[in-house]
Amino acid sequence: MTTLSNDKPTAISIRNVSQRYGEAGSSGAVVALQDISLDIRQGEFLCLLGPSGCGKSTLLNIVGGLFSATEGQVKVGDKIVKGPLPADISFVFQESTLYPWYTIRENFDVAFKFQRVPRNEWKERTASALQAVGMSSFIDHFPNQLSVGMRQRVNLARGIALKTDIILMDEPFAALDEQTRMVLGEDLSELLAATKKTIVFVTHSLAEAVFLSDRIVVMTARPGRIKTIVEVNEPHPRSPDFMLQPRFSELRNELYALLRDEIRQAIATTGGSVRPSGD
Amino acid sequence: MLETSNASARIVQIAFLAIAAGAWYAVTTTGNISPLLLPPMDRVWSALNTLLARGQFWPPILITLTTIAQAYAIAIVTGVLVAYLVTRSRFLTEVFEPVIAGVFSIPITLFFPVFILFFGIGPASKVAYGATYGFFPIALNTIAGLSAVDERFLRSARSMGASSFDTFRHVLFPAAFPVILTGLRVGFFISFASVLGGETLSSAVGVGRNIALAAELMEPARLYAWIVFVILTAIVLNTIVSQIENRRRDY
Amino acid sequence: MSALAAKAGSETPPRMTYASRVVWTRRGVIAAIAVFFEIYGRTFADPNLFSPPSTIVAALFQKVFAEERIRDAIWITFMEVSVAYVMSVVFGLAAGLLVGWTRPGRHAVYPIILLLYSIPQVILLPLFVLIFGIGPAVKIAFGFTHGIFPIMVNVIAGMRNVSPLLLSGSRSLGASSIDVARHVYFPHMVPSLFAGLRLAMTLTLLGVILGELYVSTTGIGYYTKLFAERLDPAPLFALISVLAFMAILLNEVVRVAERKFTRWKR
Repeated sequence: MTTLSNDKPTAISIRNVSQRYGEAGSSGAVVALQDISLDIRQGEFLCLLGPSGCGKSTLLNIVGGLFSATEGQVKVGDKIVKGPLPADISFVFQESTLYPWYTIRENFDVAFKFQRVPRNEWKERTASALQAVGMSSFIDHFPNQLSVGMRQRVNLARGIALKTDIILMDEPFAALDEQTRMVLGEDLSELLAATKKTIVFVTHSLAEAVFLSDRIVVMTARPGRIKTIVEVNEPHPRSPDFMLQPRFSELRNELYALLRDEIRQAIATTGGSVRPSGD
Repeated sequence: MLETSNASARIVQIAFLAIAAGAWYAVTTTGNISPLLLPPMDRVWSALNTLLARGQFWPPILITLTTIAQAYAIAIVTGVLVAYLVTRSRFLTEVFEPVIAGVFSIPITLFFPVFILFFGIGPASKVAYGATYGFFPIALNTIAGLSAVDERFLRSARSMGASSFDTFRHVLFPAAFPVILTGLRVGFFISFASVLGGETLSSAVGVGRNIALAAELMEPARLYAWIVFVILTAIVLNTIVSQIENRRRDY
Repeated sequence: MSALAAKAGSETPPRMTYASRVVWTRRGVIAAIAVFFEIYGRTFADPNLFSPPSTIVAALFQKVFAEERIRDAIWITFMEVSVAYVMSVVFGLAAGLLVGWTRPGRHAVYPIILLLYSIPQVILLPLFVLIFGIGPAVKIAFGFTHGIFPIMVNVIAGMRNVSPLLLSGSRSLGASSIDVARHVYFPHMVPSLFAGLRLAMTLTLLGVILGELYVSTTGIGYYTKLFAERLDPAPLFALISVLAFMAILLNEVVRVAERKFTRWKR
């Protein structure tokens, strides 16, 4: 049934992770995640999909060691995650985390410095990553001189240049317009086929999830639990033609059916208000 | 979270005041400092009481407050008017804003002897001096506020058929108000400080004159009594203004 | 709009661009003001109170620069301002970083600094004279206490509101807290620091001039007071323009540095 063999080694193993905010039992207590267990295989593109506030970003931040879970543990390879693992995991956030006060080149250099990459590799890595996203000619620009889409491309390139085996992406294309999103999605699919990285990707776009993922983890409304896991059998790189196939629409409709009730429930409990605290 | 941090901040602030008072007490009682520079607390306290009891306090305060009020009123009227005229077009704004900002970067205090020359040694020269100083932050902030109003608001007002007065009253002014308020606050404190400064430098009457006089007559207790009074006034005014500002910001 | 105007200008060759039109109009306005004062000074003005600009320029060379005592006074004021300013920058930056770096600092100490900043310092001038005498020390001290506050306040204010996204981004890259201080907090604070540096320059000058006007035996402030009392407006205004020039020059130095270090903002 799946093109990815199940015997591939596990890259990330999530065991019984729960996350609560506020004092347990108090009126302000919120259970963001409840008992999540999941194995993510090496070289897999895994999507976390769910209604706003279901804790997908929280889960991603726990995997990346930026938050610590209230219960449960995450292992990356043999290591138990207790804090950021810059040598194994890089992050791409919704908005660019390029420092506005440094040029693109300096941004890459500083990231390499933080990650303790030998200095003689910096130039080559920057050049090839920028090349891959078609941004080579902007190397000496400041981030504010680029459009939002260009910035996010560079941000993506930086994630790739760090050469970690795992990239965690938190709605990296959310701030972009539909067209840019699709082009970047294609780029990403190509890069994936070429580099065999493990990618965990948070999104609330159904099309994006189907187009990019090997597996889609559908989450419930708060408290976030795994509702089901949907497999997408399609080799990378994927071309836009994939979106025209009946299977693409079928998968999307299936996901929508799964999510509809959750979204209604999420709207009912939060009054549909946008929660600035993030998902 | 906000309340707890405010409470702990308050504790540190009270501790700061206590330490400052304690240091004052310790230094003056051990006699490590000449009473001419820092008189003991109780002597300042009794000097303050004497000033209050003899009614010597009120005439200079009344003069100074009147001077400040006049200076500030002139600064507001001229500042807002000039800013309104200058922001009538983007071209005018770009021509005049740097000129006004440039003049403000020169210490206007330099012209103080000129103010004395023109308006004499009485309160009139302090009114002019305080008004000139207060004019600049008010004008500059009002210009900044009025010219930064989002073009879309103006366009939507025009599309709904608003007259230019309506636009000013309902769009331009409310939109620019927070920035204008900053200018009014800065302008007030600059007028306040420069009137006191003018009185200290060269005057026959007012709070500033009394401070200078106490120093000249080598009466440190009285000097400190006046200084404590002005500092307390400044703190009270500052608290009132920031309360007003916080309330305004709620909308 | 400026781009549009510039384009319209290029279609009809002899017309200038919008930007240069602004600059030339501004120069025209300044020239018109000078001409107005020239006429006013020559016709209606009381010669004991006001001089036309041409007389002021003449006085600048004949009465101000020609006299060694006044040349020395200008130099002394310049030195006092420089020393006070450097001290304000060094101590203001250090204190600001120290306070701004820690949470209790930002929440508890910052309001105290703001409160002290709101006190009109000029009322302390007689006290300063009692403590420091009437030499250069009092002027430097008074300039320093004027200059240090805007720097502290702007440094602390500049370290607030750092985007949490940049902070978690840095952490995920493996940045240590020193890395974060150096590459995130410090650069984030720089534009605000420069606003403080410019304000501090103006205020340091103010502090020194106040000291000279109040009680002093030399310096630009002392001589402006002297000329005013002698009802000799030409050298008075000449001396004022020297100091105004000094203020603009020093301000411009800071502005050039600012432009260089905040290039990323534009």
